[in-house]
Order: sequence, then C-alpha cells, then structure tokens
Amino acid sequence: MTLALRAVPSASAATQNAVIRAQGLSKTYTAKSGPHVHALDPIDLDINDGEFVSVVGPSGCGKSTLLRLIAGLDPQTGGTLALGGRAVEGPSNEVGVVFQAANLLPWLTVRENVRLPLRVGGREWKVGNRVDDLIAMTGLSDFAERYPYELSGGMQQRAGICRALARDPKILLMDEPFGALDALTRERMNLELQRIWQTNAKTILLITHSISEAIFLGSRVIVMSARPGRIIADLPVDIPRPRSLDAILAHPSYQSLSRQIRALLNAQGEVE
Amino acid sequence: MSAVADSTAVAAVNKADVRPQRDNALLLVVAVFLVILGCWMLAVYRFDVPSYILPKPDAVLWALWSGLAVSPTSPIGYYLPLWGSLKNAAGGFLIGSVLGVSLGSLMAEFRTVEKSVMPYAFALQSLPKVAIAPLIVIWFGFGDGSKIAISALLAFFPMLINSFTGLRSVEPEKIDLMRSLSASRFETYRIVKLPHAAPYIFAGLDMAVVYALLGTIVAEFLGAQQGMGVVITQAQAITDVAGVFAALIILGALGIALHGLVRRAELRVVHWAHRNQK
Repeated sequence: MTLALRAVPSASAATQNAVIRAQGLSKTYTAKSGPHVHALDPIDLDINDGEFVSVVGPSGCGKSTLLRLIAGLDPQTGGTLALGGRAVEGPSNEVGVVFQAANLLPWLTVRENVRLPLRVGGREWKVGNRVDDLIAMTGLSDFAERYPYELSGGMQQRAGICRALARDPKILLMDEPFGALDALTRERMNLELQRIWQTNAKTILLITHSISEAIFLGSRVIVMSARPGRIIADLPVDIPRPRSLDAILAHPSYQSLSRQIRALLNAQGEVE
Repeated sequence: MSAVADSTAVAAVNKADVRPQRDNALLLVVAVFLVILGCWMLAVYRFDVPSYILPKPDAVLWALWSGLAVSPTSPIGYYLPLWGSLKNAAGGFLIGSVLGVSLGSLMAEFRTVEKSVMPYAFALQSLPKVAIAPLIVIWFGFGDGSKIAISALLAFFPMLINSFTGLRSVEPEKIDLMRSLSASRFETYRIVKLPHAAPYIFAGLDMAVVYALLGTIVAEFLGAQQGMGVVITQAQAITDVAGVFAALIILGALGIALHGLVRRAELRVVHWAHRNQK
C-alpha cells in the first residue's frame, strides 16, 4: 500500500488521462409489461485518474444507474463507456464497489468478508498482507474475527470499503455508502474516506444525497436532473486538502457551492 | 399430510416467539401436563372409563417400564424395534433431504427446471402421501426398502420447498456483489445462496426429521418384521391399550429429541440468524 499524498490533478491535465469516459451514455430499462423506464439520458462524462467525483441528484434520477453501468452490472443501451480506454463489457477487477448499508455477508467474519474478492472470480490473487493492512487502516483489527452483526453500522461500512479495496482496484464506486448512518458517524466516515483517498491512489465516484458530503469529499460535484438523468452541472471544488469539517463550513467556496447546488436541485423539485 | 406446506410457515414463526421466554414456557408445559394427567385420572378412577378405551396411568407406566427395563437385546423390549425404526427413518431422512435440497437447488438456479418440475412438485405435494404407501410396499417389498422409501418421500417435500424458497430469497444486492467480483455461478451458490438459505433448510430439516419417522411407522403398519409400528399393531391386536399408549409416548419422546437435535445443530450452524436471541 503506497502512502504518498498526492495533489489533486488540475483540470487541464484531465482530458488526456480519463480513467472513466462516457460518451452519449444512456440507459433505458425495458419492462415486459408496462412502459419502458428511461433512466439515463445520453450523458458525456470524463473522470480523470485520481479524481474524487461526487454525484448528487434527486431520488431516482439515474445516479445509481450510472454507477451500475460503470460497475459493469448492467449494459448500457446507448453510447460508449470505457475504463482506462477499454470498453466496459462486464464487471472489471479495476473497479471496487461499495454498496449501500455495507452489504456484508452475515455468515462470514470481518476478515472473511474483506478477503471475499480474493477467493472468487477464478483468479489467484497475490496480495501479501493486504487484507490485514486494510483492516488495520480502518481501525478494525480488534474486530477482524467478529461477525457483522456484532459491529456498528459505521464499522460495517468500513469493512465494506476494505472489501472493495481488496483487489487494489484503480476505481472505487460508492453508492450512497453512508446513507444509513447517523449524522455523527457519517461525518467521521467522511473524514476517514478522505484519508483513504489521499493515501491510496484511487479514483472515486461517490453517489450521495447529501450536498455537504458531496462538497466535503469531492474534487468535483456533478449535479444530475430528475429522470431521465442528465448532467446539469459539473462544479470543481477548489477547497484545499486535507479538509476538516469545521474549516470547510466556513470556507466561502463551500457556501457558494452549497447554495448553487441547492438551487439546481430545488429547480428539479427535490432536495434533501 | 396436506398440511405440510402450511406448517413450513408455522415452524418459522414459532421459532422466533418461543425462545426468549423459555423458562415460562417450561412452566406452562408442566402445568398443561398436570392438567392432562388430572383429567385422565379423573376419567379412569371417577368416571370408570373402561381400560380397553383408556388405560390407567399406572398401567401405561408399567408397560413403559417393562419395555425399557430390559436388556437392550431383549426381543420384548423397545430397544430393538426402536433401533429398527430409527435406522430406516434416518436412512429415509438422509436420502429425502439430500434429494430435496438438490432438486430445490436446481429449481432455484435454472428456470427451465423450475418451470418443468414445479407443477408436478405441487401436484405430489397436495396428494396425501401416506396414501401412496401401499403402492410403495408393492414396489419395495415388506423389508427395510419400503420404510426408507416412504420416509424419504415424506422428508423430501419440506426440504424441496424450503431450500427452493430460501435460495430464491437472496437479496439482489448480494447477487450484485458477487457479480461485481466476477464470481462464477457456483461460487455465488456456495458462498452466498446456500448460507442464506440455511435457516430455511433447517426449518425444513426440523419437519423432515419428524415426517421421516412418521413414514417409517406408517410403512411398518402395513407389514414389517420389526419396528415401533409393529409394537403398536401387536399391542392393538391383543387390545393392550396401555401398550399402545406406552409405544406412543416413546415415539413422542423420540420426536422431541430429534427436534432438539436439529435445533441444536441449527443454533451452531446458522448462529448469525439468531443474533437477537443470544
């Protein structure tokens, strides 16, 4: 595990090394009976290596659809989608997914849950002490042999993040990972996620309902419209890191961004 | 026997309710036993119900004693017939359970299997299976084969239905997780679906173990050299009602013991599903 702090890449260096590139990407779910669901309008999106991109939008706006397409869980119905220049045809080892409410397997211990990605998928993974390193990094060492039901919600999601990092993927996709947590735990998890991002060279796409979480964590905040989802704003967050919860609330950029995003979402008729 | 499907749900519900207040429950059980015993004695001693209809409690106790307080190899004791019945019931239970979980798994995994087998499974399920017993005796003879076959048939259905239901009830997020890891179908089955279905499968085992015993006894009624079913029919033939009662008590105790064994195994194996009861 590399422990080098990296600077956020500047926007100009961006386009040449897009790690995720979507062009005209769209998704329509076809139902056997009833109307087709037009979940995602054609969108263009470039996410660069090492970026932390937050996505906010009204419920059912296609945020999760976007994530499922990038994760290779659903095929797109239009446009192209490439990870590191290669078209997405299914789940990739370069992508780790953090699910809502941790989604741990209750019959496995924390260590077994974190190790799960290393023992499936028909491939030998040589990772040394990676599993234990990840568990230590998130402060779960004392709970490695415990079962998920013996852990708090925050600890469960930490284990979920460890599991997503087990194959050392380039990209981490997070689908409202802290939505089920109480406010205090959520803030602590935000700080922790910022630390994980800064110490591991990852590109992170975070889907969230929380405007403050989106700004606090994101190098960019993408605002999506109500269904069918479109990108209605792509806002850089120029607040220096490491960000602290106290400092960011007082930062002028935070306040203007927050107002701007809220106005965009209000125009869509919904805000948290 | 047509109540098999219904009791699946009932068994699952009871489990959640009964456990936390076990001490109270035990007291209640003892109280109900005393009330039944009281009514029984009242009927026999006060209302003079004849002993060929209702035997005296002490006659039943004596019959029990004379069946239990003998050498394990004695032909008049309960041990040999009990062993004979248990052996065949266990064989049927094993065969029926393995086949039930196997077919349940195939049905849960493959839509084609589900669509082609499900109608027949339900048709057979709603048939009173004990009524097939004479046919099975014709096919398998009066030996152990017919006992094992009927036990297996009775054990098969709760296992089929419960494993199928359990395997199909896996949350889609867990399947998404395994897909995101490019897990094979068998890995997903082994690591996610089967453990998820384990509590359902244990509820099925709980019923299957009792049905397997029932199957063996019914088969023995139709003709056998040895077994608890034979003990009952022989006592009945000489109107030894106390003997019938004693044999039924033995079978009841056996059923409770088997249920307890399954419960113990369940608590160990699917500990995560009982986290609220620790």
